[in-house]
Amino acid sequence: MSTITRAEAPELTPAPETKPPRRRGRWTPYWLLLPGILWLVVFFALPMLYQASTSVQTGSLEEGYKVTWHFATYWDALSQYWPQFVRSVLYAASATILCLLLGYPLAYLIAFRAGRWRNLIMILVIAPFFTSFLIRTLAWKTILADGGPVVGALNALHVLDLTNWLGWTAGDRVLATPLAVVCGLTYNFLPFMILPLYTSLERIDPRLHEAAGDLYAQPFTTFRKVTFPLSMPGVVSGTLLTFIPAAGDYVNADLLGSTDTRMVGNVIQTQFLRILDYPTAAALSFILMAAILLMVTLYIRKSGTEDLV
Amino acid sequence: MTTDNSGDVRLSGISKTYGSFTAVHPLDLTVPQGSFFALLGASGCGKTTTLRMIAGLEEPSSGTVHLGEQDVTHLPPYKRPVNTVFQSYALFPHLDIFENVAFGLRRRGVKSVKKQVEEMLELVQLGEQARKKPHQLSGGQQQRVAVARALINHPKVLLLDEPLGALDLKLRRQMQLELKRIQTEVGITFVHVTHDQEEAMTMADTVAVMNAGRVEQLGAPTDLYENPQTTFVANFLGTSNLIEAEVDSRSGEDVVLRAGGGKLTLPRARCSAQATTGGKVLVGVRPEKISLTHADDAGEIPDGRNRITGRIADSSFIGVSTQYVIDSPVCPEFEVYAQNIDRDPRLVPGTEVVLHWNPAHTFGLDAAQDIDAGVGTVGEEAA
Repeated sequence: MSTITRAEAPELTPAPETKPPRRRGRWTPYWLLLPGILWLVVFFALPMLYQASTSVQTGSLEEGYKVTWHFATYWDALSQYWPQFVRSVLYAASATILCLLLGYPLAYLIAFRAGRWRNLIMILVIAPFFTSFLIRTLAWKTILADGGPVVGALNALHVLDLTNWLGWTAGDRVLATPLAVVCGLTYNFLPFMILPLYTSLERIDPRLHEAAGDLYAQPFTTFRKVTFPLSMPGVVSGTLLTFIPAAGDYVNADLLGSTDTRMVGNVIQTQFLRILDYPTAAALSFILMAAILLMVTLYIRKSGTEDLV
Repeated sequence: MTTDNSGDVRLSGISKTYGSFTAVHPLDLTVPQGSFFALLGASGCGKTTTLRMIAGLEEPSSGTVHLGEQDVTHLPPYKRPVNTVFQSYALFPHLDIFENVAFGLRRRGVKSVKKQVEEMLELVQLGEQARKKPHQLSGGQQQRVAVARALINHPKVLLLDEPLGALDLKLRRQMQLELKRIQTEVGITFVHVTHDQEEAMTMADTVAVMNAGRVEQLGAPTDLYENPQTTFVANFLGTSNLIEAEVDSRSGEDVVLRAGGGKLTLPRARCSAQATTGGKVLVGVRPEKISLTHADDAGEIPDGRNRITGRIADSSFIGVSTQYVIDSPVCPEFEVYAQNIDRDPRLVPGTEVVLHWNPAHTFGLDAAQDIDAGVGTVGEEAA
């Protein structure tokens, strides 16, 4: 078999070798890729490798660390800090759901009903980005302060009784409770939910709504059967953009929470910067990354196959 | 036996205004059950707004919409027994062809849709494509899905909003016949909006020509073409030669007019304007009704025909006919379409000729109108 193809090969290339007319052009895409690849190598691939090696090292600050392939660090980190992992996932999931519930109606309004107010509302959605993340979270500390008007109002409306019963708040406090952390996460990541939702809603041809109405779908059915399925790309990317950073966040838990609301991000931060136990910190980071990758893959598999266009 | 009129569409005094702009002036219109009705006009004339008011997608500013005996003026679209074939189809991109067609049935709680959907897909010859998504189909196939999706609900009235606008010429001709066949087969009232006069004339039983939010004229295609009542209709539907003339006298059933020194006869029945002696009217004649004779043979023209003299300014041979532009004292660009049966080789540009036609083909219009109304709006879709 191979002899036949070999025999034919010379006949197929009898043409005199001509140089490709624009040889330099062939390399253009690679030159254009180069800065991005360099950036990725220096600031992503190398740190990842470095952290991966750190996570399997043993030793101490005084004696120095050595790669000893000590995988037990992973097991130790997980068995010691699994409650913080679970809490991170729960808080991030709650914040993501809240973001979706708050963000979807707003994105819908901007896309279909805002008319000439559309740009103004969009600016209002993006406006918080003009202030630092830290300052905004600190502002929440003031808003939710003990004895403040928000807590007073919630107390008067007996909302706190309910949240106390659910274990989201404790006593007369909102600050330093799970509720405060989840609210902080929701607030900080809401724009990341609204923007992709808006983008995918805005792309829907309004005539499809008319067509659905014309085919006997009541407004809510139109939403359920046409609008929502067509906005799924936005829902998926919005939830990912909210959930992934929220799961690794430590600022909200740090500023608005207490020792009882520590998330895995707080643990990693403490291990790296205070306890200086680099292998454990690195191992925790990798476990978090693996967990998120796994959850995201399952999520995309589930929502991505049938519903997406 | 009573005649079924549940598919009648009756518009009484409906109008639509947006702020200070009036899209549709108060309009009365009755579309009888089972007819193929076309709303014809250039873009922005209010035809689509009228259709959308029937569909319930626009709320009329005044007036009522009746379907049969039922007043549907304030019913939302999902409660009206009408369905629409949208311009560029508006198929649901996330559903396959089967589910697109089944959409209306499912919303009304029909349990077993399979048989009906399959039959409907057979009717539009798309049985094979049932599990494809709309974007995998060609324009003509998508158009048929849109028709099937609407027709499966057995609406009292099917509304078509420029349904063939996105198709190329050949496919459009084919779909015109196809739609006409389907309409005859199902017997549902069709209201068809189009800016293509040829499309309206081939398909519809009755055509309403709209202009600037008003119906200019309503009638059967031949009636509209042969007896236009306004300059807009005369120019928008096909081509007309319009001449300004003065009423000279009346003789029996005819009006005698003076134009550029010659005399023209116009049957009184074909004059939509008041023909008072000394007053002005616009005289019209279609280009294909006119015969051309070389000036040297003028004596051979039978008596009793309307005549105009002129010189051939231009001629173009287009196969079945030759189109001449004649420069005459009464009209600088008189158009004549001559069948290529016995071509006179002397008829080349620059030749002096006599134009003559049977007075029965002359029509008279009110001279107070813009003589050029509707000119040039016809070719809009050619782009």
